[in-house]
Amino acid sequence: MIYPFNRFRAGNGRWRPRLLLGFGAAIAGMIFACLLHLPTAAQTAPRAGGATTITNRSSQAYTQPAPNLDARWDERHATGDLAFEAAFVTAPATVNPGLGPLFNSSSCVGCHINNGRGLPEKGQRVVRVSQLTPCPEITLPADYVYALEAAAPTGNAAPVWGIGNQVQEQGVYGHPPEATVDVTWQEVAGRYGDGTPYSLRSPQTQLTRWDGTPLATDVAVSTRIPLPVFGLGLLEAVPESDLVQLADPDDSDRDGISGRPNRVWDVVKQTDVLGRFGWKANTPNLLQQSASAYANDMGVTNPLFPDIDGSYDIDQAILEAATIYVQTLAVPARTGWNDPEVQRGERLFADANCAACHVAELHTGIHEIPALRHQTIHPYTDLLLHDMGAELADGRPDFQASGNEWRTTPLWGVGLAQTVLPYSGYLHDGRARTLAEAILWHGGEAAAAQEAFQQMSAGDRAALVAFLRSL
Amino acid sequence: MSKKLKLWTGIGTYALMNIGAIAPALATSSHVEDGLALSNESTPTLLSQNNACVAVAVEGGGEGGAEIEGGEGGEGGEGGEGGEGGEGGESAAPAFTTRVFLPPSQRFQDRQTLTDFVDELIIPNYESLTEQTGALLTEIATFVDAPSDATLATAREAWLATRTPWEQSEAFAFGPAAFLGLDAELDDWPLNEADVVAVLESGDTLTPDYVSDLQTSQKGFHAIGFLLFGTDNDKTLADFTEREVAYLAAIAPVFDQTANDLLTSWTDGIQGYPSFRSEFVNAGAGSEIYPTLQAAGEEIVQGIIGILDELGNVKIGEAMAAQNPFLLESRFAQSSLADFKDNLRSAQNAYLGEYDAADAADTGLSSFVAKIDPALDAQIREQLQLAMAEIEAIPGPIEKTLCDPSAEPQITAAQESVLDLFDVFQEQILPLVQQ
Repeated sequence: MIYPFNRFRAGNGRWRPRLLLGFGAAIAGMIFACLLHLPTAAQTAPRAGGATTITNRSSQAYTQPAPNLDARWDERHATGDLAFEAAFVTAPATVNPGLGPLFNSSSCVGCHINNGRGLPEKGQRVVRVSQLTPCPEITLPADYVYALEAAAPTGNAAPVWGIGNQVQEQGVYGHPPEATVDVTWQEVAGRYGDGTPYSLRSPQTQLTRWDGTPLATDVAVSTRIPLPVFGLGLLEAVPESDLVQLADPDDSDRDGISGRPNRVWDVVKQTDVLGRFGWKANTPNLLQQSASAYANDMGVTNPLFPDIDGSYDIDQAILEAATIYVQTLAVPARTGWNDPEVQRGERLFADANCAACHVAELHTGIHEIPALRHQTIHPYTDLLLHDMGAELADGRPDFQASGNEWRTTPLWGVGLAQTVLPYSGYLHDGRARTLAEAILWHGGEAAAAQEAFQQMSAGDRAALVAFLRSL
Repeated sequence: MSKKLKLWTGIGTYALMNIGAIAPALATSSHVEDGLALSNESTPTLLSQNNACVAVAVEGGGEGGAEIEGGEGGEGGEGGEGGEGGEGGESAAPAFTTRVFLPPSQRFQDRQTLTDFVDELIIPNYESLTEQTGALLTEIATFVDAPSDATLATAREAWLATRTPWEQSEAFAFGPAAFLGLDAELDDWPLNEADVVAVLESGDTLTPDYVSDLQTSQKGFHAIGFLLFGTDNDKTLADFTEREVAYLAAIAPVFDQTANDLLTSWTDGIQGYPSFRSEFVNAGAGSEIYPTLQAAGEEIVQGIIGILDELGNVKIGEAMAAQNPFLLESRFAQSSLADFKDNLRSAQNAYLGEYDAADAADTGLSSFVAKIDPALDAQIREQLQLAMAEIEAIPGPIEKTLCDPSAEPQITAAQESVLDLFDVFQEQILPLVQQ
């Protein structure tokens, strides 16, 4: 590129007009380049996952490897893909033994369909329980086993007799599930400020023990749908100090929004650390998240959560492979960013103060995986706990999280939710059938934002939702 | 315009397009070193190579990863986007990649492509499936009523004939097959052999209702295959127990019903959900699931990529890398090779947009590609034929030849031809429908 220019200058006396011609041509080239670039430049949205961003608006949008992985990590991702897809069966077996004896699903993808949400249905949902007050001891058969769930010394979710902290709704042959779960939906009517009616539904969850023995009284029951698993490596790589800085536990800025980090048990470090993952941020990192899901959701014991006798069904390599898979999934790019309605919706989102918790931009720091380091990302979360009001509360404290608090759910990729899992719901128990319903359920610290949305004109509400669907 | 003027125009263009790329490259060069430091750890090897070619037990699904290439990330949106400084990572991808820009008239926008994809491929394919599951139900009933070598042989043939339309449908396993779990109901793998045996050994009354409530890994293709063929296609009539016959009798109606549910989920909708056909063909015209027409087009291409990845990297690749016949999907009937052919056929049908590829519609993905780049379309058609020839050249049954060194060149050649197609669809076709 430099070479012909030098040769030009060293030429004969006619260099000056040629140089001018050259500059003119270069400027013309630049203009031409700008024109060529217009369609792209205009479409350039903030890249949701930094260099891990991909373009994909199909049902496979959450299943792509980050494009910036080097060959070695790409291979590890592919190995992890097999682990994440593997369906477990009852031991002994030639392939993938270790399911159960009690479980909710037989594979990771069984709950996280296409790596995304699940429905609040058997096989996908997880019903968490805890004993709020000590109950008179119920006599259980001597050989009665409930699924293994590691107790955290600092935990405050006391296990329920005969169930533990999670209802396993399925068992391998000869092992009845812990309980059957019946969910009925209650509809409540409401109206927007402009008079437009809407209806919100909330679940009533009824547990029946498999053997008919009564469930202890004063048990908190919290139904959860699976969360999407892409982009989590980036969230793991956000420095703790950045998140702590976003916190305002005493609401010292008096904006009505506090936000505080959860502190949860780390089974490897054997101490309390910052919680990042799960509906109440009750899990510190993705290794523990994966290990816990293997053990509790699939009954697959592993080095972090071994069986009572210390044995396990999968080794550290498989556990790490599944973890790496989740860590290295790409984040889908936004779509329709140019649409004026979408841009107006984004302004409305900010004006309604939604972005106070759904923080648009975070930065990653260091991480074991090079592709995750030093990225500017747009997850729309602060990973902090917020009081979301009595209507959404599950009344089930989890470490520092109160019964009213929930972690801000990341909104990146939320516009693909229906493409990835048609008819899936939003919020922890999947109660919201639409994004508008999800907003309307916001209360507590988010009450003012909810009120702002409720009072918007139909056009403004549509614009705000259009913005969410562009994510 | 003189040659030199052209040269300078080009340089100006190139320089400008690269300004955006240079900044992140400089900004991130400092991270590269620490990136390399940690990358030296070895990939976890989850199963040691099994050179003896004895079928070996496999833990947790991460087996023999060494040979497996990942599906690579979509490329669209990465290339040629200047002005994104400060967000680079240690990207392995080149800073500047070419990207085709299609004029609006050439973009994926023909709704007929979607309509025909459903009406001339998906629905006829699922109709073939239900026809065969119905026949399988009949032939199993005949065998159950009058067990003989002849009725057993007919029931087995019906199982193999049902496998064909199912494997041919796997390039469009999106929609209800995935989100209603119907794919798992029909074809969960591996078989939960321990629980199937436990059911057989129990005194439980075997009825269709009972089978319905079993786990998916106890009631699909592989449960029926296991009962009909034995573990190594070596079951004789004398081997059948009464319980096995009763299990077969109970499972066949459930299986047939699930296949019919899959068809109905597309045509009319089931479980209170609307017809998925209407969602798909109304992409970008009111569908909540496919907000743009391009999203549905992308779904078609992603389906083809998915089955080529599965076939090349998993079905052939994983079993081959681990040299473990236990990893072959239809090992009970020893018909995994037929699955391979039907999966490739599935990709071909999806590309051409027609179940009966003999008279392909002119609205398929193939026609869309041909209008932009006829040579690329011709190349893909040729590659599809080549890959089919390579798979047909594998000596079968592959359950017996997987570890035979004399079959290795054919198996590897077939795998490579499938992965070459995977690359073309991922790198060249996907970006075309994304515009």
